[in-house]
Amino acid sequence: MSCNHHPDDSTLLSYGAGSLPDALAMVVACHIAACSDCRGKIADAEQIGLGLMEQEPVQSMSERSREWMLAMLDEPCEKSMPEPQLAVDYDSNGDIPAPLRPLIGQWFNELHWRTMAPGMKQFILPASQGKLLLLKIAPGTFMPSHGHSGSELTLVLKGSYSDELGRFSAGDVADIDPEMNHQPVADTHEGCICLIATDGPLRFKGLVPRLLQPFFQL
Amino acid sequence: MVHLRLIETSMEFKPDQAAQKQDFRQMLVDLAKSRDKKLFMQLYDHFAPRLKSFLVRKGASEELSEELVQETLLSVWRKTSSYDPVKATASTWIFRIARNLWIDRLRKEKPDMLSPLNSYPEVGYTPSMAACDVGRLKDALDALPQQQAQLVYKVYYEGKSHREIADDMDMPIGSVKSGLRLAFDKLRVRIGGEP
Ligand SMILES: [Zn+2]
Repeated sequence: MSCNHHPDDSTLLSYGAGSLPDALAMVVACHIAACSDCRGKIADAEQIGLGLMEQEPVQSMSERSREWMLAMLDEPCEKSMPEPQLAVDYDSNGDIPAPLRPLIGQWFNELHWRTMAPGMKQFILPASQGKLLLLKIAPGTFMPSHGHSGSELTLVLKGSYSDELGRFSAGDVADIDPEMNHQPVADTHEGCICLIATDGPLRFKGLVPRLLQPFFQL
Repeated sequence: MVHLRLIETSMEFKPDQAAQKQDFRQMLVDLAKSRDKKLFMQLYDHFAPRLKSFLVRKGASEELSEELVQETLLSVWRKTSSYDPVKATASTWIFRIARNLWIDRLRKEKPDMLSPLNSYPEVGYTPSMAACDVGRLKDALDALPQQQAQLVYKVYYEGKSHREIADDMDMPIGSVKSGLRLAFDKLRVRIGGEP
């Protein structure tokens, strides 16, 4: 999978620093499963974080912490810590990106999609900061034109769409400047599945009514 | 600019750090085989106070910081066998564990299902440089325009999102993003990454 549109460098910086709201971080995680360029930039952002950490004046630990640490080494692992999921490209085990699989399984067609409007279905994912949802758009369907009040990241997982910024295919991320209005349209015969994250509930409350507004088809 | 002063005063270049880097990498590799507690405690003595001050800076209490430090280093002890010296320096690897535990802790305060293990998958990549040159990073930060340095500070130390920074600094999100973009470019050039 080759990607033509990537998250903004400012988004990658915040991801590496661990400061991206988790809904947005999930979109980045799914993109970098397929994009080595962005993985490299995130590694740089981590290095900067590490550099900042290493130049901190050290703060000594309390007196007995060394003792406690040593004691803990002998304790058996109570619950085995889950190993981080290895990020892989989409494979024969499913069409859902690896970072999402622990949450929702392997295949898009096994999800319980909810119809929002003709030509538009959604599946809402849990997130503590921001909103995260999958959106399935039938071929030729226009989403209502909308602007943004916060950050919004859209990752195309299947199919493609076009808007004022260009054409977005599987693996591409739209890191949309909130000052911009755009009106995406699913532009291939197979329709389009996107993972969309927004930053903050207020933003989302505005979006849903807009999505349910009358829309038109080609 | 209280924040900027904090960044500046915190930077003390320690010339011996670069020399130690390779050793930590080797120490982790050895530790996986030997399970030598003395060797582990050498890592502990180096990283614990650094991780602690980093977490305190991020807003954790003394107590929570120490708890997370212990938790991080316990993970290091238990997971040494999964450390790959080709993919990450020892410090990068330990930094990631601490960062993820910190994010996890923040999220536990809210009911949710995403964990950093989901949104921070272990990706196999090589950092663009073997070791972070602290002196060059300090120079690069010092050379940033004040506003850009403040943006970087808010991302790394205050853990703020772009929207929160926009609110704090009363500027459009677009300007927050472009400021961070410019700062990132400059820092990457100076630390050895490709712009
Ligand atoms: Zn990318």
